[in-house]
Amino acid sequence: MIIVITSVIKSLVLILLLLTGFAYLTYYERKLLSRFQVRIGPNRAGPRGLLQPVADAVKAIFKEEVVPDHVDKVVYLLAPALSLIPALVAFAVVPLAPDLTIGNFTLRFHIADVNIALLYILAITSVGTYGIILGGWSSNNNYSLLGALRTASQMISYELPMGIILVAIILTTNIGRETGTLSLVEIVNQDRPWWLWLWLWLAFPMFFITMLAESNRSPFDLPETENELIAGFQIEYGGIKFALYFMAEYISMITGSAIMATLFFGGWHGPFATPGTWYGPIVGFGWLVLKIIVLLFLYIWVRASMPRIRYDQLLQFCWKILTPLSIAYLILTAIIVALAAP
Amino acid sequence: MIDPIATLREAFPDAVLDSTVYRDTPIVTIKADALLEVGRFLRDEPGLSYNLLSDLTVVDRLKLNHGQDFGSRFHGIYQLRSIERNGDLLQLKVPLPGGDDPVAPSVTGIWPTATWHEREAYDLFGVRYEGHPDLRRILLPPDWQGHPLRKDMPLGGERVPFSVTWDDEEFAFLGKQIMKAEQRPEPVPGRMDPKHMIVNMGPQHPATHGVLRLIVELDGERVVGIEPDIGYLHSGFEKQGENVRYKDFVYYTDRMDYVSAMQNNLAYCLAVEKLLGIEAPPRAQGIRVIMAELQRIASHLVWLATHALDVGGTGLSLLMYAFREREEILDLFEMVCGARLTTSYMRIGGVDQDLPPAFAPRLRELLAILPERFDEYERMLSRSPIWRHRLIGIGKLSKEDAIAYGVTGPMLRGSGVKYDLRKAQPYCGYDQYDFEIPCYPEGDSYARYLVRMGEMRQSVRIIQQALDNLPEGDHIIDDPKIAPPKRQLLDQSMEALIHHFKLFTEGIRPPVGEAYHGIEASKGEMGIYLVSDGGPHPYRCRVRTPSFSNLQVIELMSKGHLFSDIVTIIGTIDIVLGDVDR
Repeated sequence: MIIVITSVIKSLVLILLLLTGFAYLTYYERKLLSRFQVRIGPNRAGPRGLLQPVADAVKAIFKEEVVPDHVDKVVYLLAPALSLIPALVAFAVVPLAPDLTIGNFTLRFHIADVNIALLYILAITSVGTYGIILGGWSSNNNYSLLGALRTASQMISYELPMGIILVAIILTTNIGRETGTLSLVEIVNQDRPWWLWLWLWLAFPMFFITMLAESNRSPFDLPETENELIAGFQIEYGGIKFALYFMAEYISMITGSAIMATLFFGGWHGPFATPGTWYGPIVGFGWLVLKIIVLLFLYIWVRASMPRIRYDQLLQFCWKILTPLSIAYLILTAIIVALAAP
Repeated sequence: MIDPIATLREAFPDAVLDSTVYRDTPIVTIKADALLEVGRFLRDEPGLSYNLLSDLTVVDRLKLNHGQDFGSRFHGIYQLRSIERNGDLLQLKVPLPGGDDPVAPSVTGIWPTATWHEREAYDLFGVRYEGHPDLRRILLPPDWQGHPLRKDMPLGGERVPFSVTWDDEEFAFLGKQIMKAEQRPEPVPGRMDPKHMIVNMGPQHPATHGVLRLIVELDGERVVGIEPDIGYLHSGFEKQGENVRYKDFVYYTDRMDYVSAMQNNLAYCLAVEKLLGIEAPPRAQGIRVIMAELQRIASHLVWLATHALDVGGTGLSLLMYAFREREEILDLFEMVCGARLTTSYMRIGGVDQDLPPAFAPRLRELLAILPERFDEYERMLSRSPIWRHRLIGIGKLSKEDAIAYGVTGPMLRGSGVKYDLRKAQPYCGYDQYDFEIPCYPEGDSYARYLVRMGEMRQSVRIIQQALDNLPEGDHIIDDPKIAPPKRQLLDQSMEALIHHFKLFTEGIRPPVGEAYHGIEASKGEMGIYLVSDGGPHPYRCRVRTPSFSNLQVIELMSKGHLFSDIVTIIGTIDIVLGDVDR
């Protein structure tokens, strides 16, 4: 019983955290982009524009709900939610902080410690694609259809190298142990030798590229490409329905950063994040947030400095460069793991 | 130096009706039946090779009492240039048979650029071109009645001001929704295959740089055909020009290519000066060169910013970097004339005011930083593999096609034709300055990008030289019939006061004649053709804008490319819709 109650409470807190995180991520991106572009950025609502996300939210909620005549209504209304839910749900397996033990009750800072966490993430992020494809399809508009078609091929292509790199990471969890693991909680808790860190960081750029493509971020933002497809799959959406798509994109950025922080940079680990102490969870969570913020900076930095890649070049890059590289990485990792085995 | 008039007279003794040289431009009048033969001869004869049809227009002689009309109300006017012979200009005049319903042979087979120009002449004058592949209205909507540039067309809307009262019927529906929003599907152009996806791009679309509408036929993501639909911003500048005094049209020219107002001012003023047979004083010419080149940099910066935006997405910082520098240039414009965008700084016979003392130091500061900034842009773009992939090989335009379609400016130089009116037909003393013409033979978007980047650097060089060698003296011609007398004279001299009064009430009256003058504006050849009947208004005012001819090749350039490349191609053509539609 207590597990159910704590899980529900933890989920609600997490959703709240993510939605606030999304709101301030838009602020963070706007401020950062404006810095890159020698502008000032939002500075009217509240001190230093800090209330801008609130103003945006109020505006999005109170906008007139326009449902065009020519859309497939049920799917049209369902699609934004279908896009947002997976982005939120994927966070469930990410460990946020070390456990806190009070008496004989242990509070764990993750919602689920499933032993197939990585598979779960792959599965859930693929479901998110449906939201975009269905949204583009049901809008019954040439532009959104093109956007949806692009999404489909982009997501399918980029999941391949992403999965392969994940397999390589799973292999490394075998080193020095009886069995490996797929659980993010266990991966974070494992100790890695220094050379393994270096080897993992070698794969980070590749993984980061696949995450960019996975969350439709520039330079891979082809499904929406405001310059030729105007807004792509979301062209017929307005008000809060548009905001839901927006949320899905930004929350999947946060989720992606959290997964990358967990896999490549030790998650909540950091100085003073000692498990078993009362301050451990707080400092640990702080470290995770810091790592996420730094990774999000990368997303925005890329957006400010890279032109957009073309649709066919994107697929070529994936199939001709990224996939072979990731396979080579997997093979080399397998050899290293075999050599390191006792 | 070959004499085109003598050669023509020799080759076609029967066809040439009349010939003259006015203000150094040979003008040959030929019979309409012989137009195609003469045209082909002029294009193909090695010594002549008039391969560039700069402009094609029509003059309605209904109210013109000067000159010979050869029994025709409408005269077709063809401005031909020879690229091999330094842009040598020849004007063909063709009296069109058919009276009030004129007919002319179509020259699209000789100079394909005439396709749109003839459609325009059909639209605005009602000249039927026989043999034209697709004679439809181009600027005005298809259901428009009449042809607006005909002299018997009423100007319309001539109401006496302040005569409207609340009882008028036009106020009956004020504030009420009187029109039901009715959706009428636009017909798909007949040549497009309905099995393909037809995408309507524009007139409201972020990448079309204004109100350009493209009907795009797609097979998957591959472009099969494009049908541009223009005219959404048509404002009848030519008609306006024919109904205001010479000096008052300067302010209208700003609004054509609104990102290079100075260049438009310059083209118009030079054309009027050619008609008057005067030349601006040396200091005015120096100032004009500085302004025109600053405007070229500003215009190319807008192009760079929007091109990067189109190719790169809204996040790309280059947009703001380029606009930061353009802002500096606009500040300089504000300093000299008080306006930033619609400058109206040039005057017939010179410029409006002399440079303020703070101008030169500020300009020198800007010139010092500009080359570094251009390096910065190039570091951001030229070295980015994504940028190169998006541009190299996209929108190929061969040398022959470029000339045949009347493409000018950086587009032509990006196709390997080293042709620049500043060098070929120097005006404003451009021959005194040492500069190069950037030219790349590849003919793709990347070559055009390199050309424009190179041109900005050359413009910095020209401005530097012009600023260092700026002579002292008057900023406007000292002729009370053309330019207002100096302010202090008005208090002392009765004569000056009379001249001032006459000039501002009656305007300038150039002698009877006609003149075409083209300059190398930021986007290509910007030409003005004026016909004077001796009165204070131009009888015919024709504006040849570079974007109109340049946009024509969009279908040629985009066929077979992907949908995303259309955006790159629109960017690389560098259109301004005010310039296309006028």
